[in-house]
Amino acid sequence: MTIHRHMIKRIITSTALCCLTAVPALAQELRFTVWTGSEAHLSMLNGIAEGYTAAHPDVTVKFETVPFADYVQKITLQLAGGNPPDLGWLLESSAPTFTQAGVLLDVGDTLRADAAYDFDDLSQGAMGLWQDGDAVYGVPFSTSPFIIYYNKSLYDAAGMETPDALAAKGEWTWERLKQDAAKLTGDGHWGYQSVDGQGYDSRVLHNLIPIVRSYGGEAWDETGCGLNSDAAVQAIGLYHDMVYGDKSAVPPGEQGDFFTGNAALTMTQLSRVSKLKDAGFEWGLAPLPSGPAGQASVIGQAAVVAFAAGKNSDVAADFLAYMTNAENVAKMAEFFPPARQSVLESEAFLSSNPAVTPEQMTIVAEGIANGAVAPSHVAYPQIEAAMRPKFDALWSPEADLKAVMDGVCDAVTPNL
Amino acid sequence: MRTAIPATLSLRTREALTGWLFVSPITLGFLIFFVGPLIAVFGYSLTEWNLLSQKSTFVGMQNYADALGRNPDFWHVTRNSLIFAAGLVPLNMGLALYLAVALSRPFRGVVAFRTIFFAPVVTAAVAWAIVWTFLLQGEQGAVNQALALIGIDGPNWLREPSWAMAAVIVTRVFKTVGLNMILYIAALQAIPRDYEEAARLEGASGWQIFRMITWPLLAPTTLVIMVITVVGSLKVFDHIYLMTGGGPENGTLVLAFYIYEQGFKFFDTGYAAALAVILFVLIAVLTIGQVILRARSERA
Repeated sequence: MTIHRHMIKRIITSTALCCLTAVPALAQELRFTVWTGSEAHLSMLNGIAEGYTAAHPDVTVKFETVPFADYVQKITLQLAGGNPPDLGWLLESSAPTFTQAGVLLDVGDTLRADAAYDFDDLSQGAMGLWQDGDAVYGVPFSTSPFIIYYNKSLYDAAGMETPDALAAKGEWTWERLKQDAAKLTGDGHWGYQSVDGQGYDSRVLHNLIPIVRSYGGEAWDETGCGLNSDAAVQAIGLYHDMVYGDKSAVPPGEQGDFFTGNAALTMTQLSRVSKLKDAGFEWGLAPLPSGPAGQASVIGQAAVVAFAAGKNSDVAADFLAYMTNAENVAKMAEFFPPARQSVLESEAFLSSNPAVTPEQMTIVAEGIANGAVAPSHVAYPQIEAAMRPKFDALWSPEADLKAVMDGVCDAVTPNL
Repeated sequence: MRTAIPATLSLRTREALTGWLFVSPITLGFLIFFVGPLIAVFGYSLTEWNLLSQKSTFVGMQNYADALGRNPDFWHVTRNSLIFAAGLVPLNMGLALYLAVALSRPFRGVVAFRTIFFAPVVTAAVAWAIVWTFLLQGEQGAVNQALALIGIDGPNWLREPSWAMAAVIVTRVFKTVGLNMILYIAALQAIPRDYEEAARLEGASGWQIFRMITWPLLAPTTLVIMVITVVGSLKVFDHIYLMTGGGPENGTLVLAFYIYEQGFKFFDTGYAAALAVILFVLIAVLTIGQVILRARSERA
């Protein structure tokens, strides 16, 4: 009975397909991979997808969460297995590798064809990694500077001046952050937690580069590896002393989460505000501290890309354009600071997230204006793997920082 | 009974066909999902194949030459794998045998003890590894806090190169020892009690009984356990991935994890396939070696 029904269905479908070749596509589902599992983020994304379905009833978009740590591997396997997602998020560190491998769809023509899209509104600085001549391989949906989150309840209880107040007076420096963290350590909580608690492993660069840049150093550039420069070693020394001298930073292998009240300060991005919804303490945001070389904001970037091997690449390109038009970028700005200048400069952006005050959002906007994207490279996976074991030597009280960083650069240089 | 096999065939052929039909699902599955990939891996190992860009060129034995001759990392991770196995296998088998001897005779609460030691085997590997990373934290970890009570300042187990390997070996032993213990208990219970009684009447001591009677009779089981444990220890991946990620300073970077990194992080699939073939050969040689040794000692 079922077999018959299937058979009939197939005959009807194939007849319909034969007769209707002139009519574009029947129902299509776009598969879109993301690394967020946050309900707030997903309901916002689904809202955008519903808007698209309303205008294109044949198309639905399904967001699929892939955990951050395995994201690149899983996407790669899906690509290799001939079952790629139609669209997905991609992090700045993966941009050169994926672009060069030719697996991303060039959406340049689609974006430029629509005058209302206003391609030139996308900040050129933010587009740098995702463009090759006229080809466009992705549109950043998040150009998110690292900022400091602080536990206001702890600051108030200690009668200390808060980081944003210090920043307003121009006294918010890494040295000051170090002193504050030391004073606020104790009673079962730490002074400072590295970025998402991953500052010793996969995100060691995100952890250290903001300090290094404010001391005038850089991870690498055309002249080679800069991680063993005097400025870099001095900056890394500051953090090292927080871990082993002051014992104020959550050390490697320990758990101490800012978002559950177990650390007084941390450095991360705007999207983590959603984790503070039920926080049992008051909190505030501040810009990154400055160093001897001034303030150096660091931007973590992620883009929406379409995969060249996707089965619905035309529709995927069209949805990518829809998702990154001015209206939807403004919606996403609540969590993901945009690359569109018009949105970034609008009043609406400053009040887009009810949990964040316009003053706090200004910190984010200024971070984008003054920031440079976190380090990336075509050989980033190889660099990261070569670097990681060398960086491990840093995390002991007696580490000879200069020698360790020389070792890191020896490992990095052959890959540059 | 209706049968699809025509009655014109001889009984022998019909029986053979019926037999093949019955085993065909598993045979097909085995060919498609085991033998197929195994042959494919040999094929891939002769290419330079980038998983991401899908570009593949035939390079002959180049990947093998790179691994064995040019890449110092290969020997480092192979050494790590052998250290892991050398630490895990004797510890695991010794503990399994000790527990089995202690728990093979019935006494009050024996089932509870067996369950306790077997429970980690059926615990999810992920949960096991994550719980241990918490217990082995530097200062706040339960292990170090317990050590502090008796005045010992414990190291940051998973973060210090000299301790990390020991920590992953011991936690892995706790995870897997239960299975070997059960195999030994089954073997011990299969040994007829008469032998022991006879030996006792002859005045043999407990140790003599164990050495001259129990241990030789356990030999077939010991071989099976040894093979399983050696193979398992050389293939270890999840435990390392979750507890140390190969660190610190590549101190726990074992071969299986290194293969994963080459294939799925650097997308160098051809090279990863060559490494997988080398691991396969290494395990095959060790396993065959053990079987031969056992056969020789039996003849002696």
